[in-house]
Amino acid sequence: MMRALLLLWSLGPLLWQLRTSFLVGEVLVGGNTPPGVSPWTLANYQLVLGGDPSLARVLLNSAVLGVVTTLLTLLLALPCAYGLHHLQGRLRPLISAGLVGAALFPTVLLFLSLLQFARWLGLANHLLALAVPYAALALPLAILLLRAAIQDLPPELEDAARLDGLNAPQRLRRIVAPLLGPAVVSTGLLVFLASWNEYPIALTWLSRSDRLTLPAAMGRIASSSVFTVPYGPFAAATVLGSLPLLLLVLLFQRWIVSGLTQGAVKG
Amino acid sequence: MKGLQLEGITRQVGGRTLLEGLDLRVGEGECVALLGPSGCGKTTTLRVVAGLDPLSAGRVILDDDDISRLDPALRRVGMVFQSYALYPHLSVADNLTLGLKIRGVPAAEREERLTRILALLQLQELRQRRPAQLSGGQRQRVALGRALLRQPRIMLLDEPMSNLDAQLREELRPELRRLLSGAGHPVLYVTHDQQEAMGLADRIAVLDQGRLQQVGEPRQLHHNPANRFVAAFLGRPAINLFPPLDGRQLAVRPEHLHPVPAGGLPVRVARAEWSGNQQVLWLESAAGLLRMLWPADSPVPQQLEVGWAPESALAFEASGGQRLPRCELAWNRDLIRFLQQ
Repeated sequence: MMRALLLLWSLGPLLWQLRTSFLVGEVLVGGNTPPGVSPWTLANYQLVLGGDPSLARVLLNSAVLGVVTTLLTLLLALPCAYGLHHLQGRLRPLISAGLVGAALFPTVLLFLSLLQFARWLGLANHLLALAVPYAALALPLAILLLRAAIQDLPPELEDAARLDGLNAPQRLRRIVAPLLGPAVVSTGLLVFLASWNEYPIALTWLSRSDRLTLPAAMGRIASSSVFTVPYGPFAAATVLGSLPLLLLVLLFQRWIVSGLTQGAVKG
Repeated sequence: MKGLQLEGITRQVGGRTLLEGLDLRVGEGECVALLGPSGCGKTTTLRVVAGLDPLSAGRVILDDDDISRLDPALRRVGMVFQSYALYPHLSVADNLTLGLKIRGVPAAEREERLTRILALLQLQELRQRRPAQLSGGQRQRVALGRALLRQPRIMLLDEPMSNLDAQLREELRPELRRLLSGAGHPVLYVTHDQQEAMGLADRIAVLDQGRLQQVGEPRQLHHNPANRFVAAFLGRPAINLFPPLDGRQLAVRPEHLHPVPAGGLPVRVARAEWSGNQQVLWLESAAGLLRMLWPADSPVPQQLEVGWAPESALAFEASGGQRLPRCELAWNRDLIRFLQQ
């Protein structure tokens, strides 16, 4: 019972969006369709996919940006987390506290200064340039998550690797990183999700319609008309924008759930 | 001079002293067991020799080289960890040869050495398995093989048997002995199991609270313990410690207690533990619970008087626990008289 309620709570709005996306505009604003005309339609989807920019293009932009952001973040976060794990002395709690602070900082407060950066460096309207601030914003949390995972590995594994003659980068690459699979995947998904959903920076950095990411494009759809609220097309864009995420989670589910138990040394 | 020489090794972390001024020598082909309760510094000693933990003071000398400050990778020590620490994502073959690969040993030689060690450890069929697919005994052999394959100048083993069940432990002891002595290098073997230490080691070093208590052959430690700790730690069932009297404390091993017709210490049998070839009697007495051995199939009385040959008793300083050179006849008499009151 409790579970059913929770499920309804989480899935309810999504299902409502799904329903909305297939309805004609008149029904959505409270009217009725003329008799004999079905209230169901695919027109909303045709509209967003055929618009300028096409939502297909927008989704591709978001996907490419998300992948680049995720790879960049993980590539930087792994050595950072590993280094932090091995850091001795008073610097460690200081850096950890700094990371927590940075992870908790509301990013909305940053977008104006970031915009100035972008103007100054001439990065406006470069889609992949967004990966730089995105990775920067995702790094603190990614480092903390990966460090927690590294701390869970048995320390003797690294001792054994030291005796085998592996230096720190070799230990990270050959022993630690392969054992962090599940943590890397779940961290990567979080980073991808954050990039997929980011709005203020994308809104201010990108103006050319063929460069837009999903949230920026959704913003345009929502404000496309002064006179009506385009519920139907907006819902269609929402549904199309959620599908890739659903696909990703299904794809990596096994990894997320399997946890770190595969690295156990005792049996 | 070949072998390992520890000179006053000390390790302090924060304000805590884990190891204090440990001197120990392990000769070529000799197996020395480090024995002691948890937290006594056994594992720390191994880690210091391997270079995994830094020294606060003292020197580690291996085959006349001072390796105290040398990187662990360059020390050429073979170590078997308590958890075995096999790389879970690599096959047996890759676990064994990763170190050789990193050191740039050519593939052909790697393969040859791998084949030889797999044959020695009887692991040929398992070379493509992952550690998770191996039994405890197989994992132990892989861990041993990984250490041996480095062509170490010394072998360090940290409780290699503690993850195995009791029967397997006993079966593997001669096997381990064969593998270790075959190579001829010194072996430092950490255990908290005195049976294992006595069965495997040429000499035993007893540690407590980071200090070396005594080192010697098993027989010597048992019959001639340097202090109360060694006397109480070695021997099962444990030695009977009598209450201190006049600044000294007597102790008698369970096998040296025997029934006497009169004039002994009156006791009541609280419990008899039968173990096949003998029984252990737990005796309630004025000196607290005492342990005594009893023939396996003799009837056990409820009440009796026990005594011991005066020369079999050990005497210690009551305060510091240091062994007193001899146990005076009068002390035995005084103790019995005191307990009889």
